[in-house]
Amino acid sequence: MATRSMLRSVWTSFAGLKLGPTGTNVKLQQRINTPQLSALTIQSRGIRQVVEKQEGKTTTVKGQILDIPAAPQPPNPAAKCPIYKWNLQNKYNYTDVLLLSQFIRSDGGMLPRRITGLCPEEHRKIVICVQMAHRAGLLPDHKPKLPEGHVSKKPKPQLNRYLTRWSIDSVKPIYKTGLKWCKKRMAVGHPALKNNVRYGVKPLYLKH
Amino acid sequence: MSSFSRSAQQWATFARSWFLIDAKMQPPGKIATMCSVRLQGKHKPIYHALSDCGDHVVVINTKHIAFSGNKWEQKVYSSHTGYPGGFKQVTAAQLHLKDPKHLTIVKLAVYGMLPKNLHRRTMMQRLHIFPDDELPDDIRANLTEELPQPREIPRKLSEYTQEEIDAFPRLWTPPEDYKMK
Repeated sequence: MATRSMLRSVWTSFAGLKLGPTGTNVKLQQRINTPQLSALTIQSRGIRQVVEKQEGKTTTVKGQILDIPAAPQPPNPAAKCPIYKWNLQNKYNYTDVLLLSQFIRSDGGMLPRRITGLCPEEHRKIVICVQMAHRAGLLPDHKPKLPEGHVSKKPKPQLNRYLTRWSIDSVKPIYKTGLKWCKKRMAVGHPALKNNVRYGVKPLYLKH
Repeated sequence: MSSFSRSAQQWATFARSWFLIDAKMQPPGKIATMCSVRLQGKHKPIYHALSDCGDHVVVINTKHIAFSGNKWEQKVYSSHTGYPGGFKQVTAAQLHLKDPKHLTIVKLAVYGMLPKNLHRRTMMQRLHIFPDDELPDDIRANLTEELPQPREIPRKLSEYTQEEIDAFPRLWTPPEDYKMK
């Protein structure tokens, strides 16, 4: 009887369980479920704590709503796009890896816009920044998985670069640069980010 | 300083100092401008083109140099041997394969930024380029000042601590039925 009630309480505790944002299962501590909360809590209706009380023959199983400290509220919750909600428009760059890593898959690809909820312009800017971050080597753990035992034919030279606009294989060398007044300039950065906030006096140079 | 004796002040003004620049993850063009300014002596108020007031500059870690944009593929170094059909054009990436320590890239950058006169060769003799951290002991003993790096090196995602990653707020919540993150 006691074991059956215990099993039933465990089953109800599983039923009422809410998975954390990382998708990991919350640890079970005997009969009472105390979910381990990290600093990032998802805005859900509230995680219940299952409390069991035994008074003689009757067992009461209660789901108490835990008092969770609210997740940091965005400064502009009225906006639809997450970047506008947090007032980060025109403020991020390819170096802000903590921001960019929230919109990429584990193999480095972008998440679809219908899932992340970004507006089209910001989605494009994030895509550009993620591409520049990958080429700069700032996301070393988000490489695509190669099949086992894959040996590359030619080892590619590891060249340090940053603010690369074009993909490495698509660019041709500039053999004839031209005279100073009509010089063929080399592209640096991306014009989509030209409205970014500049805290210094110097303007943003896109053509070197 | 005004508290120096006359001989000490004279020595401090006219002595030739040795500068150190770390070129790790830095663009070679910005490194070269800093080098050329100090090799000519233009950072001194007593500068005159004829007075040979340039200083020594030591550049280290040149094998970790970083070009901005697609310059590794686009930048072309041209030269002519003087013989017909001797026009050679090499991209920076091909130059990397030929010289993975990037000594020629930094040397050509500084050479192009110095004034085009006969002093240029002596100024290039005062420039010392090393591919990595190791310096000969006599040069290390001469160094007086290290210059700040022109470019701030961005941090990789693996260099952030877990606390810093957790402290950054999540901007969006994924729908519950979406997996494959």
